[in-house]
Amino acid sequence: MKFSLDWMGDHVSLEALGGAEGARRLLDRGGLPVESAERSGEDVVLDVEITPNRPDAMSHRGLAREAAAMARIPFGSMQPGEEGDLPTSGPAASELASVEIQVPRLCRRFGARVVRGTKSAPSGGRVRARLVSIGAKPIDAAVDATNYALWDSGQPLHAFDLDRLAGGRIVVRKAKRGETLVTLDGVERRLEPSDVVVADSERAVSLAGIMGGLDTAVTGKTTNVLLEAAWWDPVAIRRTARRLGMHTDASHRFERGADPEAIPGALDLAARILLDAAGGTLAPGWIDARGTAWARRRVVLRVERLRTISGDPRLEVDFAEDALARLGFAVSRRSAKRLTADVPSWRPDVSIEEDLIEEVLRVWGYDRLPSRLPATAGAGRHLEPLRVVEETLTDGAVAAGLHETYSYPFVDRRSDESSFAGWLEATGTAPAPLSVANPVDASRRDLRATLLPGLLDAVSRNFRHGAREVGLFEVGRTFGLPGDTARPETLESRRFAFALAGDVRTHWSAPVATRPADFFDAKGLFERLVEPWIAPETLVWKSLRTAAFVAGAAASCETPEGRTLGVVGVVSESEREKRPLPERVCAGEIVVEEIPRDRRAARFQPYSAFPPVVADLSFSQPRTVAWESIEEFARGLALENLESLKLLDRYEGSGVVEGAVKTTVRLTFRSPERTLEQEEVNRERDRLAGALSQKFGIEI
Amino acid sequence: MTEEPGPAGRAEEAISNVLASFQDEAARGVSSRSEFEALKGRYLGREKGLVTALFARMREIPASERAAYGARANAAKREVEEGIARLSEALARTETERRERAAAVDITLPGRRTRAGSLHPVTLVRRRIEEIFLRMGYSIADGPEIESDFYNFEALNFPPEHPARDAQDTLFIDREAPSPLLLRTHTSPVQVRELKKRGAPLKIIAPGRVYRNESVDATHQPVFHQVEALVVDRGIAMADLKGTVETFFEALFGAGTRVRIIPTFFPFVEPGADVHVSCIFCRGTGCRTCKGSGWMELAGAGEVHPRVLEACGVDPQEYSGFAFGLGLDRVAMMLYEFPDLRLLYEGDERFLSQFAPLS
Repeated sequence: MKFSLDWMGDHVSLEALGGAEGARRLLDRGGLPVESAERSGEDVVLDVEITPNRPDAMSHRGLAREAAAMARIPFGSMQPGEEGDLPTSGPAASELASVEIQVPRLCRRFGARVVRGTKSAPSGGRVRARLVSIGAKPIDAAVDATNYALWDSGQPLHAFDLDRLAGGRIVVRKAKRGETLVTLDGVERRLEPSDVVVADSERAVSLAGIMGGLDTAVTGKTTNVLLEAAWWDPVAIRRTARRLGMHTDASHRFERGADPEAIPGALDLAARILLDAAGGTLAPGWIDARGTAWARRRVVLRVERLRTISGDPRLEVDFAEDALARLGFAVSRRSAKRLTADVPSWRPDVSIEEDLIEEVLRVWGYDRLPSRLPATAGAGRHLEPLRVVEETLTDGAVAAGLHETYSYPFVDRRSDESSFAGWLEATGTAPAPLSVANPVDASRRDLRATLLPGLLDAVSRNFRHGAREVGLFEVGRTFGLPGDTARPETLESRRFAFALAGDVRTHWSAPVATRPADFFDAKGLFERLVEPWIAPETLVWKSLRTAAFVAGAAASCETPEGRTLGVVGVVSESEREKRPLPERVCAGEIVVEEIPRDRRAARFQPYSAFPPVVADLSFSQPRTVAWESIEEFARGLALENLESLKLLDRYEGSGVVEGAVKTTVRLTFRSPERTLEQEEVNRERDRLAGALSQKFGIEI
Repeated sequence: MTEEPGPAGRAEEAISNVLASFQDEAARGVSSRSEFEALKGRYLGREKGLVTALFARMREIPASERAAYGARANAAKREVEEGIARLSEALARTETERRERAAAVDITLPGRRTRAGSLHPVTLVRRRIEEIFLRMGYSIADGPEIESDFYNFEALNFPPEHPARDAQDTLFIDREAPSPLLLRTHTSPVQVRELKKRGAPLKIIAPGRVYRNESVDATHQPVFHQVEALVVDRGIAMADLKGTVETFFEALFGAGTRVRIIPTFFPFVEPGADVHVSCIFCRGTGCRTCKGSGWMELAGAGEVHPRVLEACGVDPQEYSGFAFGLGLDRVAMMLYEFPDLRLLYEGDERFLSQFAPLS
């Protein structure tokens, strides 16, 4: 918000402030940071950032008061000017117009003055110059007078052409259903019964606190002007302004809380400027219609509390008293330990003791506060065990050579996720996505239910940039579980996803044709990642059908307890076509919540001092016999002294009949008590061979 | 005139000849295992070995000289055997050298490195910050990214229809709920959740992802990350906040980092403060990044508002606390000196693989 330094000088000595530099420094340390100070002729224009709690500082008077308090120098006139200085004549204002407030809570005060016999004229040079310097556009004497008074006092005003107010009557009321009003900007507004309007005896003439109506605005032909300055309820103004998409200098201030006691002074100032520029006479007296009364808040400040909250034992009641008085509080000392402060009407933000403490500390200077560290004891730890799981998964993926990426959670369920329907169903996702009501991008209003599409997009971007091998992972939330909307945390799921694409090993010494990543790379990575918590051999893999993965090369993974832990698959052609992707991309996702919170216990297991004896077994099996069933069967035989059974090789092609696969397993035997003989080991291997051929009709 | 040598004399001569010839051959050395075996057989062979033959002559020697001859023949045998052993060692050395020569490589060829993965720069910054706070005894808390209006605003003293909500650019969820659902706009709701759950005293940080309705550009993202610190205990003052942000930023940005706090407004703190840190690029002398001020506005902070403590069931007359919040993406941008926040969400490995942990 822009302010003229020269204008501030109406209320405080610029010299005592130390000029522009001094003002800047004082406002900065008071919490009204000056973003820029630019010279404009003789003047300096300050661009000040004003937080929404400080409507009182959105005026030259208010800003001057702040700077003066920070500098601890006198501030001009803090009391609104009294009526009486201006020459008046003719009938009293109350004979020329009347005001009736029908919504007393929403309009606590409505003040009006009447100027008769003005002519159309530009406002005075000084008024125009000041308005121009802060970026306001001068229009004519009446409008400029209201704007000038706004920027001087902070009180928004409006000028009506009194002769166009039917019956000279003003009624403050709720809008009627279906009522319309063409506002000053020429837009016809459809009003709702929740909107507050200023009306004459026939129709709405102004959108209260936001913008006046076009019909009753002052024009070149206006001779009699009614100046309005009122107090409006912040919430009512904000609701209407937001609904209508309007934001004005007036609504900005009323939404934040105006000062009902600034009304008479602002009216006088506007009247004075109007009379100066456009002539006419001021009607004696003013209309001061009241709604619900406002009260001055009274807040107690205890010095002990001031010291506790600040941590500064040097703060004394004398200092607090002086600081608050300079900011306009009426302070009465109760004792050396406490004081009572009446909050000025322009400070809607101050209502509790801590607010007073902030005021005192602003003047004291935060930079003077001592520094120390909290005495609170305790060792730090992760309070959410799943965060530890996520970090461990992350470290595992980095160790496997993958790069961590982040992606946006905004998707379109239909185009991005419908091909993952089988997976979404397996994870219990609700059929309807959670959507954003006001999305950043209207084509992506749903929240993701799986990390996989975003990850595949990232893989695609890498290939587009010329990458030949890509390994990415992401940790993040997905949304859309059929949870309880009263407990939003139940709608989310924590996920970990990865994608592998292209050549898995490339080095100058590797063969020219390197191996592309396949299903088993992805499955192996998945197993390695969850191994700290779940023994991979206890995982249950089940074929999963979902359009995003190749049928027959995708699997869901269940925990031993039968809970869906994750998915691994080779991305299908149709999914690849959506975004250019290389021939083989493998991806997987882990449902982090399904991982046990505690890691598997690692305890010493004694091992044999005797050497292992190895026996290999090759057989030809139908492809339809799953490895899992062979392995399970073999383990069920409980071969004597068997230490491990490992798949050594799988071969299809010449020498093996169509539809069959040649499988080689390596059996390693070891006894804890003695060195085994090859012959006894071979006997056990042969026992397995016989059993396999009987059970599966396998050819040894 | 010399006397014709007797049988003993001839045998003595034979010893000398064998030794002389062995020394000759040994001096020439052997170049292969087979040559070595041939040489060894020639001298020590059980049947025809030249040294073996010396002992066969024993019978020719007169009994009186036999012992002396035997001793000399044995000495000669030892000498040959030692020579053979030396040759064997030399041969082994040669063979080892030959194998090693064959195994030699061009040590300047590139090494075969295992694939190195990497962490996202924001993760790296988050982990560094977590580590600093863990060492200061803070625990790490976590909360949902979909929040209710209650936790995101109401309990944090943002009344309904308050203009302070405007600054939050909230993304609302299109779903009926007892308290309207939204994507959390800050990590502060975790303060409320943890205080309600655990009560005071409490000393936590809450890192996490937050959302705002921002259009994407180099310095704005609808998705970004914050970390929130909260300490609630008896007598926690602005002085504690000041000391904590000084300690923290010095740990994060290095010795000599200066910190100042100035008043500002956030609904959930009173008094409220903005935390300014001396610009890490110019060290406070003023540069383009800090717009010449020498300072960077990095965190919002303050004493926890009594109404927030009350909403969490903590008595504000007994306990007080401070909170501060910091954006991680901007800190990552500063520490790693990349120019555009959009890079964080593009998933380009050329970007992602560049960053290493902070210390």
